[in-house]
Amino acid sequence: MPRVTVTARDSGGRTATTTADYQVSSPVLGGYYLSGNGNPVADLAGGNFRSLTQYRSFADGYLFPGWNKPWLTELGRAGMKINMVLELKHYGAPYAREQTFRVNGRTYTVPAPAMTIQQRPGTTWPRAYGYDQVLSGQCDGLFARALAQYQEMDVGMNLQLASELDTDHEFGTTEAGGAYTWAESDARAVAALTYIVTWFKARGLPADTTFSVGAGGFDRACYQRTHPEALMAKLDFLQWNVYATSATHTALARFCRTKDWAVADLGPIALSRPVLIAEWGVRSAELPDQAAWIGTVPAAVAALNAEGGPRIVRTNYFNSGWGRLVPKDIGLAALKRAYTTRPYV
Amino acid sequence: MAAPTVTVALNAAVYAPGDEMIMTVTYSDADTRPVTVTVVVTDVRGRSSAPAQVTAVIDPLTLTVTDDSGRAWTKLSDNGAVAGYQAVA
Repeated sequence: MPRVTVTARDSGGRTATTTADYQVSSPVLGGYYLSGNGNPVADLAGGNFRSLTQYRSFADGYLFPGWNKPWLTELGRAGMKINMVLELKHYGAPYAREQTFRVNGRTYTVPAPAMTIQQRPGTTWPRAYGYDQVLSGQCDGLFARALAQYQEMDVGMNLQLASELDTDHEFGTTEAGGAYTWAESDARAVAALTYIVTWFKARGLPADTTFSVGAGGFDRACYQRTHPEALMAKLDFLQWNVYATSATHTALARFCRTKDWAVADLGPIALSRPVLIAEWGVRSAELPDQAAWIGTVPAAVAALNAEGGPRIVRTNYFNSGWGRLVPKDIGLAALKRAYTTRPYV
Repeated sequence: MAAPTVTVALNAAVYAPGDEMIMTVTYSDADTRPVTVTVVVTDVRGRSSAPAQVTAVIDPLTLTVTDDSGRAWTKLSDNGAVAGYQAVA
């Protein structure tokens, strides 16, 4: 930590000396996600990309590095900071049933996922392994399988449990015949995610493994409920996602919305953690000049980090869904320009 | 003769690379007193000039700033009690 020393000396040679310590932070890491967990290497070429988001379901048999994803290991070994989102959510039908598999010579049988989440009216509700299933140990085999693959891969990364708890719980959840409100679901998730973090931390993990829990960050009460100090003490980052979906949305306002709530509502442990933006994006339907909006992001992040409170340390552009770059080449060029601007350098 | 005193305050604890850093140094010495001398010139016929004043400081303090990271601090202001310095993170 740098130290500045100031001495006052009078004409008789008498002195008084004092010091002040300060830190100069590392640049914010500019990051990326390519639709479908796609291989981003071609897109990253020539850009100052140092951070990457990936998504995996605990239901999948291939989490680390992922099916046909040797490039993830290569990127990780080359220093790319990986945010691996691990979800209890089941991504599709093929495995939506009981699974039996072997890990390190031990056979595990994990029952079918019993929870429904993301219960938006008029949609098919996805299945997920239930919070009670986690707490009763029924999902330990899933964690053992993920751990064995992670140890084999041996690239330390941030494990973000759940993608967006607020999105998952917004319309309530069900598990094994029980129905739970949004707030009840949040409380159940905190217990289950605490179980998962504790389970992993009790075992050998690659160096530089860190943990966070996922939130879209669009609901203040949910953010507060899902970030109690007891859980935050086990986590290394605060996290939220940032999207511009209206012509009125400025980068400064969108990046600071959840931060302002966190600073007002969370405890000192939570606020001591840096912020990982797992997804950010600008939706072309409302903001067709995506490049212009992207160009305002560095100054917004620099301003937020200058004002105190939790520092934003990684921002991963979500080139998919709401953030899809259209046309891709212009958006990607703007992203590369942004990431060569303070505070990214 | 009394010993001087000095305190410093930085405007942040953590800076991003390239940030402007501002340091405020507050210092004093019980012996350091401003003295104001007022001069009036009077001619033989008793006509006096307007009084002219000059202020002198007895036993002024000298400030020295060093930074173990090699960062250069530039003095922006100094009124004899509070000095402002600036550097780039």
